[in-house]
Amino acid sequence: MTATEAGALAPAPTQRKRPIGLLLVAVPVLLVLWLIIWPIISAMIQTIWLPTPEGGRSLSVSSYEFFINDPYSRANLSITLWTTAVCAVLLLVVCLPIALYLRFSDSKLAAYVQGLAIFPMFVPSIILSFAFIRVLGPNGTVDLLLNSVGLPKIKSPYLTPWGPVIGLVWDNIPLTVLILLSGLGNVSNQAIEAARDVGAGRFALLWHIILPRVSNSILVAISFAVLGIFSAFTLPYILGPAAPEMMGPFMQRTFRDLFDPTNAITQAVITFGFCILFGLFYVRSVAKNRTP
Amino acid sequence: MSVLTIKDVTKLFPGGTKAVDSFSLEVADGELVCLLGPSGSGKSTLLRMVGGFETPSAGLIAIDGEDITRMPPEKRPTGMVFQSHALWTHMDVFKNLAFGLKLRRLPATEIKRKVEAVLELVGLGGYGSRRVTQLSGGQQQRVALARSLVLEPKILLLDEPFASLDQHLRERLREEVRDIQQRVGITTLFVTHGQDEALSMADRIVVMRDGGTEQIDRPDVVYRNPQTPFVAGFIGTMNLLEGTVANGIFTRASFSHPLAVADGPATLAIRPEALDVTPAEPGAAKVHRVTDYGTHGLLDLDLPDDTRLKAMVSHPAQYRHGMGVNLTPRAVSAYRNNAQIFRSEA
Repeated sequence: MTATEAGALAPAPTQRKRPIGLLLVAVPVLLVLWLIIWPIISAMIQTIWLPTPEGGRSLSVSSYEFFINDPYSRANLSITLWTTAVCAVLLLVVCLPIALYLRFSDSKLAAYVQGLAIFPMFVPSIILSFAFIRVLGPNGTVDLLLNSVGLPKIKSPYLTPWGPVIGLVWDNIPLTVLILLSGLGNVSNQAIEAARDVGAGRFALLWHIILPRVSNSILVAISFAVLGIFSAFTLPYILGPAAPEMMGPFMQRTFRDLFDPTNAITQAVITFGFCILFGLFYVRSVAKNRTP
Repeated sequence: MSVLTIKDVTKLFPGGTKAVDSFSLEVADGELVCLLGPSGSGKSTLLRMVGGFETPSAGLIAIDGEDITRMPPEKRPTGMVFQSHALWTHMDVFKNLAFGLKLRRLPATEIKRKVEAVLELVGLGGYGSRRVTQLSGGQQQRVALARSLVLEPKILLLDEPFASLDQHLRERLREEVRDIQQRVGITTLFVTHGQDEALSMADRIVVMRDGGTEQIDRPDVVYRNPQTPFVAGFIGTMNLLEGTVANGIFTRASFSHPLAVADGPATLAIRPEALDVTPAEPGAAKVHRVTDYGTHGLLDLDLPDDTRLKAMVSHPAQYRHGMGVNLTPRAVSAYRNNAQIFRSEA
């Protein structure tokens, strides 16, 4: 037997396992194609392949023209973008200090803080909404407490653009804290101590050592939050203003109350477009930041 | 001129664990002192207290007479090299070294000059633009050393800097680090649990145990004249025999040796190279194993009560398993109540 024959009798294990591996990934890939990719393509086709008065169908972008020229639709998109941006900034401002505290604190209090930060994850949005109304709504707990000491009522954020902002920030705190905390786990104590050893104070440590090391985690956390907030429904529907409204309630109302599926799907495709843009930005940034 | 003074320093951790117990030491200008001891002996805690990463529960730490006991690490005139290098992987080599200088607001030209000079000093000239992840373990450790040296600290602290490197690289680097330390003339405190490192690099060795000092001496003195049975057993290979002395004779099983001390229990310490072995039947001991290292041989010998001894021989081929031998120590130390009571030289 020659060496070549011997080699031919012993194929690489990866080659033998390849069909099994492909079969294993085939199921989720087919599900994604069926349940996600196809509905997206189908929705896009439905918004540009519109019925004509003659009973046929033709290529048209009239539904997109309507969205762009309609001041109310534009206002809804604007309020959605505003809410998403404000929530992203507030989440970073609120969650980064919490995550930093949890990562670097040795005290027993840290365990309780972590518990509190994760708690909103177990509270359904509907309960959160009613709690919000009971506390911050008109004649809510805060108003009652202020009234009991003779102070005027607060200007309630309920049914204003700040209502969904407060609710969505609260709802997204657990996931954001957990992602940031996992990123901070990559910053070793010795890297921190080495920076202090060469003279870095608290701000220099945060700016030059910690933030560059967790930039990917910040990006992931904000991406997750933004993608969720952009298409949020329950909290904006219950806590937000009737007009303008965020894209989630807008789509639902256009579809169910106005019986206008074409415009509802157009709104969905536009929402998807913004989300995919942010998704692509996130993927590009993560790939760029990855250490070679 | 930089002198490090550690006076009666104690460190108590929450829960009552005493990591360092009334430790005192003075490191002279330009001296390299090794803190040597097993895991848990308190040597790293002591070094971290000097670096400012732990606060002493009691005592004083001073550099050139200035009390730095409560000073935060960023304000101390010390530079620390960590066991895991602790380089910042998001910065290249130049930025790693320049970071501390930038914090001191030095002009860019001065920073460039200092960084390039220190890179030359550690043998990494031209490596400034490399990412630290592209460097080998040895090169990373040199960058870590350069990062400390570039700030010209008064005291250099080395926390087991070679622990993560392979044996060959470790031996080469310890020679290089010693050369650099002597060239720069920097006062250095070095933590290690490797006795070879301590013996080959240090001006003085502090042998630590349970947070306290067992012995502080020059490496040759620590090796040849250990003051306690712990030091004798910890530094190098040592035969430690528990036995009794009666009428000036130490006895353990079939082994006996004249020992001019008062009667009572004693621990006899004999280096393998100071134990002469001669074939004899039945002999005081039996050869259990012969190991030939090429340059010399090492015999594992068993006394009748299964006490194991080691002896170094120049011709290991003469010996075989089961052979009877007589034992004649050329130099011994004896201990009682954790103190040396007798010492003879070869």
